[in-house]
Amino acid sequence: MRMFSGNHLLPHLVLWLTLCLHSVGHATERSGVFKNMQGEVKVIRAGKSLPAASGAGLFEGDRIVTGPKSAVSITLRDGTVLSVGPNTSLDLTHYVFEPTSQNGSLLVSLVQGTVRMVTGIMGKTNPELIRLTTPTSVVGVRGTDFIVEASQ
Amino acid sequence: MNRPVIVSPHNLACLGTLAVALFGCASPPPTPPAPPPPQVRVVLLPQTDATGSPAKTAISVTSGAQVLQLEQPYALVETDRKGQLTERVSKAAEVQARYGDVLKIQPPAAETVVLRFLPGKSQLTPESERQLPDLIQRARARPGGEILVVGHTDRVGSRDANDALSLQRAQAIVNLLKASGFSEDLLSAIGRGEREPAVPTEDEVAEPRNRRAEVIIR
Repeated sequence: MRMFSGNHLLPHLVLWLTLCLHSVGHATERSGVFKNMQGEVKVIRAGKSLPAASGAGLFEGDRIVTGPKSAVSITLRDGTVLSVGPNTSLDLTHYVFEPTSQNGSLLVSLVQGTVRMVTGIMGKTNPELIRLTTPTSVVGVRGTDFIVEASQ
Repeated sequence: MNRPVIVSPHNLACLGTLAVALFGCASPPPTPPAPPPPQVRVVLLPQTDATGSPAKTAISVTSGAQVLQLEQPYALVETDRKGQLTERVSKAAEVQARYGDVLKIQPPAAETVVLRFLPGKSQLTPESERQLPDLIQRARARPGGEILVVGHTDRVGSRDANDALSLQRAQAIVNLLKASGFSEDLLSAIGRGEREPAVPTEDEVAEPRNRRAEVIIR
């Protein structure tokens, strides 16, 4: 375990924001596809609540909401897998992936509940541009597999 | 006249014992307030490489100005109400007990199949074309099963031309899959050009083994 200051993150954030700006206008493309599903899972999209289903698309800006006995997994276009546990509210805040160059960036915001993230191609090409945030902390990732739980 | 009090380690130990004894005689001490539950918990899971051997893995967790780097499998970080991070090492059984629902919902690992083209064409070899119905069946057996077709070229021609060619070849396969009734929403054609040769070569070298499409079923 090493401890150090957070200042080194700044250049990465600048690059990440640049990619954010590039993504404007691409929100109609699917960012991922719903895979395994258990119980009732909803997607909040543009203020409307829709039932999620295996094979349906997940888009940038969507919120995934699971109930007490539900869970769902999603594969994003670069192969990143999100497994969402019960009683969870999770936003796909930002997603850009360009499959020819394999560059992109990802921001997932866990409002509450549990999520496992297994990073895909971007975990190798742009690990510094992958972020998972919770209301109190930011998880920066270098190409791996982890679970984050946030309680209120 | 006051005599100086000499504090030696021995004296301190005596004082400590005295304090405990005095405290013990008094009415039951108030129970200390329970520590607030962790607001955020992060567990790093073990990573294996393509051969199944343990692989290097790391994440960093930031809370305010505090940054912790997790590198050991099952390393766990918790934050308290003040946002302070503390680290400990969890175990597979503890993670399974607490996060069984999340672990169970993980989709099966992706499968990759390599298809080949007739020399200089976007048309598959007969052997490769015969595999398509099986690929569709395997994708349909998965919940939300997708088929991604990733085209690759050799290094003859410009990079841009190879990007276009590889995409065209991938699209040709996607069109066949679509014509066989596989949902367009779950199909993707991707061109990687000459970036990812199966056999590394110098530029402008014709290499049939690099003219291929990788089909990812996931």
